[in-house]
Amino acid sequence: MALLKIKNLHANVAGKEILKGISLTINAGEMHAIMGPNGTGKSTLSNVIAGRDGYEVTSGEVLLDDNNLLAMSADERARAGVFLAFQYPVEIPGVSTSNFLKTALNAKRRAAGLPEIDAMEFLKLVKAKTKALGIPDDIIKRQLNVGFSGGEKKRAEVLQMTLLEPRIAILDETDSGLDIDALKVVADGVNNLRSADRGFLVITHYQRLLNYIVPDHVHVMSGGRIVASGGKELALTLEAEGYAKYQAA
Amino acid sequence: MATSFITAHPFGDAYAARAGALPAVAWLESLRRFARAEIAGGLPGAQVEEWRFTPLTQLAKIGFIPAASADDVDVTAVPLDVPVVPGAVRVVLVNGVYRADLSDSLDGLDLRTLRDAVSSSKDMESAVGRVAPLSLPMVALNTAFMEDGLVIAVRGSVTRPVHIISIGAAGSSPVAFHPRVVITTEPGASLSIVETHIGLPGQPFLANPVTEVFVAEDAAVRRFVSVTEEGDAYHLATTVASVASRGTFEAFHMGLGGHKAEGTTRQEIHVVVNGEGTKVNVSGAYAIAGTMHHDFTTVINHRVGGSASRQVFKGVLDGRSHGVYQGRLRVAPDAQKTDARQVHKALFLAHGPAVDCKPELEIDADDVQCAHGAATGALDSDQLFYMAARGIDPETARALLVEGFLAEAIAEIGDESVRVVFAAQMAAWLQRRGGAS
Repeated sequence: MALLKIKNLHANVAGKEILKGISLTINAGEMHAIMGPNGTGKSTLSNVIAGRDGYEVTSGEVLLDDNNLLAMSADERARAGVFLAFQYPVEIPGVSTSNFLKTALNAKRRAAGLPEIDAMEFLKLVKAKTKALGIPDDIIKRQLNVGFSGGEKKRAEVLQMTLLEPRIAILDETDSGLDIDALKVVADGVNNLRSADRGFLVITHYQRLLNYIVPDHVHVMSGGRIVASGGKELALTLEAEGYAKYQAA
Repeated sequence: MATSFITAHPFGDAYAARAGALPAVAWLESLRRFARAEIAGGLPGAQVEEWRFTPLTQLAKIGFIPAASADDVDVTAVPLDVPVVPGAVRVVLVNGVYRADLSDSLDGLDLRTLRDAVSSSKDMESAVGRVAPLSLPMVALNTAFMEDGLVIAVRGSVTRPVHIISIGAAGSSPVAFHPRVVITTEPGASLSIVETHIGLPGQPFLANPVTEVFVAEDAAVRRFVSVTEEGDAYHLATTVASVASRGTFEAFHMGLGGHKAEGTTRQEIHVVVNGEGTKVNVSGAYAIAGTMHHDFTTVINHRVGGSASRQVFKGVLDGRSHGVYQGRLRVAPDAQKTDARQVHKALFLAHGPAVDCKPELEIDADDVQCAHGAATGALDSDQLFYMAARGIDPETARALLVEGFLAEAIAEIGDESVRVVFAAQMAAWLQRRGGAS
């Protein structure tokens, strides 16, 4: 079943066309990877799907479960099930991770017509999730992302993803700045979330992450377009041969 | 001195004749004469440097009567939204005058009203005006017309905090009141004091409280003040503290004004460091809207070295409000090993507000650490998007970010139960704002 459908998507940033006709369908249960050199529009694609200001969609469609995502605000998209794991999670001084997570979780629950979770239940839930992810649970007492190491920030992103249980998770260069141990923790967290009713879009420059999060489909992006698609073996080819062939094209 | 004041004041002979419920003891009459001479030329306008951002030109146009003469003021209860401070002794002043019927019993406490103290004890002569100089215009005005207040003389450790609730209420005429609070400590004594200043709707009033704090050697005074304004009142408060060796003076001042607020609040705090090893923290937060004007003016005077002072101020401004921070830091020539820090940050929630920030560092010693920081800006769009990407609606996201912004200042409140009370008042302000916008 098609979960996320991107049809001929064109988008500008500051008047310049960055996405030049992206089409991509992610079915429930699938893990897709987009690879490509820097500056080809990979992060633009993730920001456009998530609904960040400053990106102007000039044509095309993005549908989640057949609902028009482009008509929704960023927070509505998130409540509908889009989760963007940030390349650079933002530090928010003065806001505890716990308060932030509870607010986000309850926003999602309200949107789904569920009762809000109370403080005790929430703590129990977070403790269970942090334990499963191998994250120290005192992380939730700290100010959100403030003073977190690169690895802690990415693990916190996975914790958020685990709590919010998205329909489609987009991981934007999640591997950047991670050592191999942190990468494994993050990959384990993502793999545990793989399920028949959830889709993933992993955006990465390097093959390394894909050793741990094995994709069903790999796409090569260059010059604002998807220029090649294949199975997981395509990632290995790219690692061996580089992007030169696609950039020349 | 008086010639630099360009604004006439509305406290002429007619006002003076009706003010002054204190006994006419000789020392007080003499002090009042000096005070009246100081303000004979008027109240400070924009040409007086210290009052450049908060000139009292408009104030001088209001015909105030002494609060004691306002016979149509009827306050029979403390408003329910005044927070309860756990375990505290409640002391209520209405228009600057002690109200026994609304206060807890003072029996057995080191606490008297100013009227009682002046009538019954001779040592008031050395206590009133010991710390607060008449060269400060609002101190002079207060001294000239003070009618009541509190005297707290702490001998040991006061285990119960004192909660002063000051209610301003004008009847059919604008009123002015000038309460004086005098806090003295014996060596090693300690006191926590919480103050809630509110106004009832009606005609404008001028609250002109002056607080003198004498912190003896090894003594500690912690004072937490909140001022809430909804109308067009003037709250011009001056605190002067003198701190002896190894003494602690911690002050946190909060100023709140709703979207209908159009008044002026100035919280002016002077601390004189007179000994080594003292700890001084003067911090605060303000959240204002409407056309409210809020001014924090601080002067920390390190006369002796080997002491630390710290100031953390944060302001959130909405509507067309105006914030002022003037922070003067003086380090005397011999005050080596002084460690003094100050920061003021303001957050704008709309395009209308303005802030004037004036740090003044006068450092005459060479072996010192002094740092100051200032920043003004709007909410960060990356932070807002991060929250949106987690499903948090824009209004809630803004509230969380504003709370987070203020948290750094609120964290300076050393007493946890007070911190909870103040944080709740801040949160309530943010919620009201959400409803108003």
